[in-house]
Amino acid sequence: MIEAEGLTKVYGDKTAVGGVSFTVQAGQVTGFLGPNGAGKSTTMRMIMGLDAPTAGTVTVNGVPFARHAAPLREIGALLDAKAVHTSRSAYNHLLAMAATHSIPRKRVHEVIDMTGLADVARKKVKGFSLGMGQRLGIAAALLGDPQTIILDEPVNGLDPEGVVWVRNLVKYLASEGRTVFLSSHLMSEMALTADHLIVIGRGKIIADAPIKDIITGKGHTRTRVRSDQPDRLMQVLAGTGVSVELQDHELLEVTGLDQRQIARSALDNQVLIYELTPLQASLEEAYMELTKDEVEYHSLITTGAPVPAQSGGN
Amino acid sequence: MSTSTSTQPAAGPGRAAIHNAASPGSGPSFFRVLNSEFIKFRTLLSTTILLASTAVVMVGFGALSAWGTGQFADQAASDPEAAAAIAAQGGDLVVTVPTSGVAFAQLILGSLGVLLMSSEFTTGMARSTFAAVPKRLPAFVAKLVVVIVSAFVLTAASTYVAGLVSVPILDNFGLKLDLASSQSVKLLLVTSAYVAAVAAIGMALGTLLRNSAGGIMALVGLFFVAPIAFQLIPGDFFEEARKYLPGNTINPLTAVEHVPDTLEVWQAALVLGAWVVVPVVVAMILLKKRDV
Repeated sequence: MIEAEGLTKVYGDKTAVGGVSFTVQAGQVTGFLGPNGAGKSTTMRMIMGLDAPTAGTVTVNGVPFARHAAPLREIGALLDAKAVHTSRSAYNHLLAMAATHSIPRKRVHEVIDMTGLADVARKKVKGFSLGMGQRLGIAAALLGDPQTIILDEPVNGLDPEGVVWVRNLVKYLASEGRTVFLSSHLMSEMALTADHLIVIGRGKIIADAPIKDIITGKGHTRTRVRSDQPDRLMQVLAGTGVSVELQDHELLEVTGLDQRQIARSALDNQVLIYELTPLQASLEEAYMELTKDEVEYHSLITTGAPVPAQSGGN
Repeated sequence: MSTSTSTQPAAGPGRAAIHNAASPGSGPSFFRVLNSEFIKFRTLLSTTILLASTAVVMVGFGALSAWGTGQFADQAASDPEAAAAIAAQGGDLVVTVPTSGVAFAQLILGSLGVLLMSSEFTTGMARSTFAAVPKRLPAFVAKLVVVIVSAFVLTAASTYVAGLVSVPILDNFGLKLDLASSQSVKLLLVTSAYVAAVAAIGMALGTLLRNSAGGIMALVGLFFVAPIAFQLIPGDFFEEARKYLPGNTINPLTAVEHVPDTLEVWQAALVLGAWVVVPVVVAMILLKKRDV
């Protein structure tokens, strides 16, 4: 479990991370989503004790990272593909890392096999593709068989096969009860991988909720309605918190009412409707909605969906 | 907290035993970090190249110097005055032959000291290193030990080999070099310690500047440019200050007898020590404080 409390990082006059608080639960994949420069990597570096927070604290399993007796066995991190001396071979890199914790050679071979690096392990990292660099970073993260795994943009540069592999790997690790914290700016990947989502934008947490809540938008269900009297229906449905949009001849999109409420109003007012389709937003859309108006959605999501302590994956 | 299962190495359920048991909970003790730093040291081709060049330079300059000294002694044979001067100096003329290449050895091994730390930052390796050893200072000290020991051992070994090569060359000219003499042994040890100190200064510079070119330039500036600049700038202050430059401590340290207007041996040792301790301590403080 990772807990951040008012975590802040200021570089000169630029606030990279502005007082974020969140909890990453064990046993599920938590996605950390935000555009480039939103503060994801900075937050992750602070978790790993590489950057000192300007204010606030962050702990891993209740203890600041640097105070763990065996850090690599507690947390494994891929913070940057190629956090490696590129003139060293992958095997020697892992061997040197392992030596700090007396992790046996056998384990080094294991993670090399696990990440599919066996053929290139004796070659210099200099010649590695971005994807192989990512695999090496993941191998290093898994070296200490840690309870908590932090991966910063792990699918960057991976081929489709590698993407699926990472997806399955992180789900498997979470199913074993580990804490998995995964950042990405790729929303489609998050939609497939994460159980819970923390959305960050301009250094602030915009949303912190189970992924399905974010996609349905919590109270902002949209419904596609077809009626032969669209103008009449628009008048009938109008009200506070409801927006109705005429999209096409006889086609409306209604936000702020669920399907039952729409059908009831239509029936009461003798308006024929011949389609009533709940629309599920893609994560992209949900994300655009979130970032479009930070303040409104900040209060909406965080109050609407309190951080689920029960969690439990799916 | 440990619910890890699938990949746990087969080890007893008990807590940490001795380090060789690879117990599940073992963390970064100093011995382990030292081992890691040594693995990092020996698995870089650039390290091997720099060490080999140092050996070649030391032995090569030793041999050249032996030959040159022999030539000089030959010429002196036809010049009674020079011969008398040489005779008066006893073995001093030949005793410094094995360490003739030290000016270059210190530059190469000093640069190695810079590179071993600066490359951590330029390649991003530092993030891996300090994620594994988040207290940071054990990794710094371990690397410092590796740098100092390797610089000392390599300088001592290549000085000795340079001596072995020089003996028969000097012999051709009728000059005797006794490698086992106390003077030779002292010179070998003091020179090696001096080069180890330069390498430590280099590593501190690499830690402070986090940049390979900058670190090496700072080292060259300190050891090669400053002494010349201080000599050219008029004024008593610079003439006096020149004695306290780290590169100028080697002569008083290895002198057979105290030369007037130079530092005493103990003074030179203190000055060199300060040149090592101050940058190293500042580097450690900043390494602990700065973001990686």
